[in-house]
Amino acid sequence: MLSIKNIERFYKTGPLTTWVLRDINLKVSEGEFVTIMGPSGSGKSTLLNILGMLDQPDAGEYLFFDEPVHRFNEKRRSELHKHYIGFVFQAYHLIDELTVYENIETPLLYRGIKSAERKAMIADVLDRFNMVAKKDLFPAQLSGGQQQLVGVARAIIGKPKLLLADEPTGNLHSSQGETIMELFAQLHREGMTIIQVTHNEKNAQYGTRLIQLEDGFVRDDAGVARLNV
Amino acid sequence: MQFKFILRSMARNKVYAGINILGLGLGIAAVLLIFQVVRYELGYNKNFSRYDRIVRVVTQSQSSEGESWNPCVPIPAMFAIPDAVPELTQVARMREFWPSISVPGAEDGTPPKKFLRKDPSVAFFTEPSFFEIFDLEWLAGDPKTALRDEGSVVIIRSEAERFFGSWQAAMNETLVLDNVARVTVRGVVEDLPPDCDLPINMLASWPTYIAQQALYYYDDNWGSCNSSNQVFGLLADASQLGAAERSLAKVGEKQYAENSSTGKADKTHRLQPMSDLHFSDKLNNSAFRTITKGRLKVLSFIALLILGMACFNFINLSTAMASQRAKEIGVRKTLGVGRGQLLRQFLGETAVVSVLSVALGVAVARLCLPLLKHISDVPVEAPFLSLPQTWAFLVFVTIAVTLLAGFYPAVVLAGFEPAGALKNSVGAVRGGHRAWVRQSLVVLQFSIAIAFIVGTIITLSQLHFIRTKDLGFDQNLIYTFYYNNDSLSVAKLNTLKNRLLQAPEVEAVSYNTDPPSSGNSWMSNFAFPSNAEDADFALQIKYADTDYPKTFGLRMAAGKWYDPSDTMKQAVVNEAFLRKMGVEKPEDAIGEDLKLGGRAGIIITGVVQDFHAFSVHQPIAPLMISTQRDYYYNAAVKVNPGDMAAAARAIESAFDEVYPEQVFEGHWYDETIARFYEDENRFANACKGFGVLAIFIACIGLFGLSSHAAARRAKEIGIRKVLGAGTAGITALLARDFIKLVLVAFVLAAPAGWYFMNRWLQDFAYRIDIQWWVFVVAGAVALVGATLVVALQTVRAALADPVESLRSE
Ligand SMILES: Nc1ncnc2c1ncn2[C@@H]1O[C@H](COP(=O)(O)OP(=O)(O)O)[C@@H](O)[C@H]1O
Ligand SMILES: [Mg+2]
Repeated sequence: MLSIKNIERFYKTGPLTTWVLRDINLKVSEGEFVTIMGPSGSGKSTLLNILGMLDQPDAGEYLFFDEPVHRFNEKRRSELHKHYIGFVFQAYHLIDELTVYENIETPLLYRGIKSAERKAMIADVLDRFNMVAKKDLFPAQLSGGQQQLVGVARAIIGKPKLLLADEPTGNLHSSQGETIMELFAQLHREGMTIIQVTHNEKNAQYGTRLIQLEDGFVRDDAGVARLNV
Repeated sequence: MQFKFILRSMARNKVYAGINILGLGLGIAAVLLIFQVVRYELGYNKNFSRYDRIVRVVTQSQSSEGESWNPCVPIPAMFAIPDAVPELTQVARMREFWPSISVPGAEDGTPPKKFLRKDPSVAFFTEPSFFEIFDLEWLAGDPKTALRDEGSVVIIRSEAERFFGSWQAAMNETLVLDNVARVTVRGVVEDLPPDCDLPINMLASWPTYIAQQALYYYDDNWGSCNSSNQVFGLLADASQLGAAERSLAKVGEKQYAENSSTGKADKTHRLQPMSDLHFSDKLNNSAFRTITKGRLKVLSFIALLILGMACFNFINLSTAMASQRAKEIGVRKTLGVGRGQLLRQFLGETAVVSVLSVALGVAVARLCLPLLKHISDVPVEAPFLSLPQTWAFLVFVTIAVTLLAGFYPAVVLAGFEPAGALKNSVGAVRGGHRAWVRQSLVVLQFSIAIAFIVGTIITLSQLHFIRTKDLGFDQNLIYTFYYNNDSLSVAKLNTLKNRLLQAPEVEAVSYNTDPPSSGNSWMSNFAFPSNAEDADFALQIKYADTDYPKTFGLRMAAGKWYDPSDTMKQAVVNEAFLRKMGVEKPEDAIGEDLKLGGRAGIIITGVVQDFHAFSVHQPIAPLMISTQRDYYYNAAVKVNPGDMAAAARAIESAFDEVYPEQVFEGHWYDETIARFYEDENRFANACKGFGVLAIFIACIGLFGLSSHAAARRAKEIGIRKVLGAGTAGITALLARDFIKLVLVAFVLAAPAGWYFMNRWLQDFAYRIDIQWWVFVVAGAVALVGATLVVALQTVRAALADPVESLRSE
């Protein structure tokens, strides 16, 4: 599905160059559930942003469904992003001024999906996530777990091929976190490709593959020995 | 301590502090400039210490056309007033005149020195009681005797210096007025200040007036009321105005009734207090400039609007940023600070901003002081910052701005509930509950700005209309000048005309009383035809020679111009005359006769097409043009296109050759006409200036608000971009809220602008129709301004890297 070759990312502050990612090579196939782990500042978020086409590498190649993303201009990148990728954030990043319903609807608006179809899609998702009763509430009126549910709902409403999640449970209680992870597992079973960043060993167990980042290098890349659940 | 915090907070929010200080500073500058205008105008004539008790006797006339006012007093009435009105402790007869002045040459053949009249200046024939009413500062001479004898004058210091080098040298020296009257300087007084409606340069004794009867139209007749013949008086007490008017009403009662066609007195004398002299819209003064209190109120109102707009910016930005301060307030409250203390803190912050703004405002106002001449008469040299009133006003403005701008935000901020404030949830839902106040203020700002633009466009269109309107005569390439019409000079008029026509530049020369359009008017009662009853309105008269139509390009509707004559035998009338008299075909009037005053049998030889004899404020009135050579004092020279400066020089040298002793002062006629509309020009300039300022203040406010909105919504913008929003979509999202406000402002301002400008246009008898595109343009200007300003902020926000704004610490 996607492959990156010799990806580099650095920041220049004055005379200083800070390397964030160095010589990253990675291939992800459809249907994988990849977990990225590593200490704070090791470049996990940066890698995820590059994969999600929100950020660009300073060097290296990025092929997405065999398309050379690194050669695309911003407009084409954001088109690809819009149609194939869903993003879940640690801080949820819901729009405070919009209701639950409107938050979930937003990506569909940007894809130009017709009103009737939108309604049906949102109704489906609300139903699936048990949030029908909450659809008219504002984010501030929800608990963290519920907000992240909305975040996930919003990420998958457009049926993306790839779901990226940057510490999706980082701000949640363990029980709320479990709900989200169960949801990911289920999406995975349904065939969605997922790449998540987490600090939590238990969450990593949901994935099929574990990548360890350290100081911008991939230290380890291996399959996950599934716990017996 | 406090102060340090305030400065630190301003440094942190440089852009917002800058917007506040810039907006308020400019607003205050405008207010200061208007204050200077209003203060200057209200200070008029206060140089006279008896200001409160001085009155002018004026004449109120009734006719079928309505009432009219004139500062004239017939000479016999002047003599009746002192006895008839005991409430006046002093009465001074006065006669305005504008003499050319020269210092005669000596026996040894040194040529006379001629002096151009300085504008504005006026001379009066008057009597010693003048000095009991108006206190002047005497440098030399005795107020009791200086104006006692024939041939005595008192001049002001600067004229004395101009004529004789120094005022000390002027005493007992000789001057020649209008080439005829030799007078002796018997006193020198200090110059009058510029804010005085008696811009006197010379006072001559009353006996001199009587001695020069012919030259100065001395007419000792109850029927003659010349606006230059005036009476000023002094009340024993200002409260006796009513009593004095009642006594005055008896003056001339009998004579005016005898002279009137109805048998009832059509005139009464009234008193105009000195305090009204500068502000009357009915009566002119010797400075030929008045300004109504209404106009001053409009100016003050504009100042208030501009200052209000600047304060709105402050209110909007501080309340918009309130959420940022919510946390600080919450912490302070949990530490036990009282509401009152918080209020004081926030007002203190505003006071610092006010003081800085006032400082900026003073600096800008000083820089802009020379611009005042485009909207007012205030001379650049008029004292401004040296006046204690100005400083008192500045203190007042500082306090007013602090309260106006600071009070509401302070109440909002101090009113935060600590719990809510700490959770930072202020305004989290749907943009905040105070948003409507901000939105209303923005709407108000843009309404004001749009109204100003509408005003500017309409005044400029009307001015353009006036400038390009066919006035019915030519105003271009005509050079005019006055000459003395004493019999010696009149005898040489033909020589001058021939001499002028020899110049290759000159096409035609006409002698007359007035050009077709002038501020002057000669009116007379008349009958048409001669044997009919006098008409119940007065006829306007111009006297001119037979070259008049050629010189000014007048067009005939029927018949021909009258034949050459030195006295009044034939005449032409205008179309308005025929309409008013019910003559349908112009040809029918030819050969008819009319009676002017007591003079019957004036034959109408032609009908001239209507032309504007006054400014376009007034409808075209019935008019007659006839001959009367002794009355002419104005010459008009039509030149051919080409080097106009050379033409002017040729005319002047011809004049100097024929009249070496006379002072020459020529004017291009189109410039004279342009001066009729000085007031409108000023109004247009004021609209323009304040319109630009209003738009600017509204736009920088919008700049602050939109930049704040973009900052506040940075996270939302990031999310939306991640969800697939494009730059255009985000810009539109952010801009929409503000553009909506401008549209609402437009809807409010357009009818208001229409209403006020329509009223303004009513003052013109000839005016433009207000076109719909005026509003489109005004709306578009506001919209484009607002969009540019908002787009600047929102495009930047839309282009921002979403990863940046979404990075969670
Ligand atoms: N805009 C930036 N400028 C400079 N350094 C940055 C910037 N963004 C990220 N970094 C640095 O890059 C490194 C990796 O960041 P990140 O990918 O967020 O790490 P992780 O998500 O693994 O905690 C960090 O050391 C961070 O300080
Ligand atoms: Mg991270």
